[in-house]
Amino acid sequence: MRKTVIVALALIIALTGTAVAKDKVYGKGVSDGDVTPISTIMDHKDDFQGKTVRISGTAVAVCSHRGCWVDISSDREGETLRLKVEDGVIVFPKSIVGKPITAEGVFTANHVTEDNHICSREHEGGEEVTCTTYYQVTGTGAVVRK
Amino acid sequence: MGTFRKVCRWLHRELGFFAVGLTLVYAISGIAVNHVHHWDPNHAKTVETRSIEAPGPGPTDEVEPLVLERLALGEPVRSTWRQSATVLQVFPEDGSTVDVDLTTGEVRRTSHSPRPLLFDMNFMHLNTGKGFWTVAGDVYASILIVLALSGIFLVKGRKGLAGRGGVLMVLGVLLPVIYAVAMRG
Repeated sequence: MRKTVIVALALIIALTGTAVAKDKVYGKGVSDGDVTPISTIMDHKDDFQGKTVRISGTAVAVCSHRGCWVDISSDREGETLRLKVEDGVIVFPKSIVGKPITAEGVFTANHVTEDNHICSREHEGGEEVTCTTYYQVTGTGAVVRK
Repeated sequence: MGTFRKVCRWLHRELGFFAVGLTLVYAISGIAVNHVHHWDPNHAKTVETRSIEAPGPGPTDEVEPLVLERLALGEPVRSTWRQSATVLQVFPEDGSTVDVDLTTGEVRRTSHSPRPLLFDMNFMHLNTGKGFWTVAGDVYASILIVLALSGIFLVKGRKGLAGRGGVLMVLGVLLPVIYAVAMRG
């Protein structure tokens, strides 16, 4: 019995140690390849739209309730790019705020109304509805460094 | 008592005892996450404010050391980020965020601590961990199906399926059906 407890404790400590030492991978992680500076993407939005990008920065904000997005700081001061993931599929804990993060996904533009509904062609032509464009990376994975 | 009813009773009793813990986890967490638009079911948020001598909105590499010195946090700092011309964010190792207004010196520290028990219950309920818990969740859901179906046949007579029990069962089935039809309409 005592031997079993010692072995179990040793196993738990070893597993915990391994978990602490490793970078945390979310979703499919990030494939090999160049990271594009966020400032470059934001300066050439049309060129990057619909393309898969790898971005890197600091996680400066996380979705408050569901962990379904992370704002990643740009290499340019005051600028961020949101990494949006499917609700419930990937969940980012709040504890990653301030940590370095690399992410991969498709750069997308969302045209939405003031009340956050998707702008249709009718909306765009209408007089009363104002449509705003938000840019994000629709993420497939990320790696948060320790 | 017929063999079928005996089997139902046995299943309902044994699985019912087994399911108590998980039912409480899923039910309590269910109430908590059902109101996710009203509150954060996972974390308690605390905000502390204070002020330091304002360093002014200078270049980040000049302002950052001044802010860190004047904050005197006494704990490791992960990183900092210039959020805007007037705000520098400092991220201490505990995962909190410290917003420093460089022009006024106002400091606002926002921390989120996991709610005791509820955080873990939600973790299980929402299957955040995936892997083994996906299997556990499927098994539990299957047990609930067996409990629901076996429960129908526990009592016979006026209080059973042929009487009041049947009426209550129909009401319970109609509730989601009517809601679904109304929502689609």
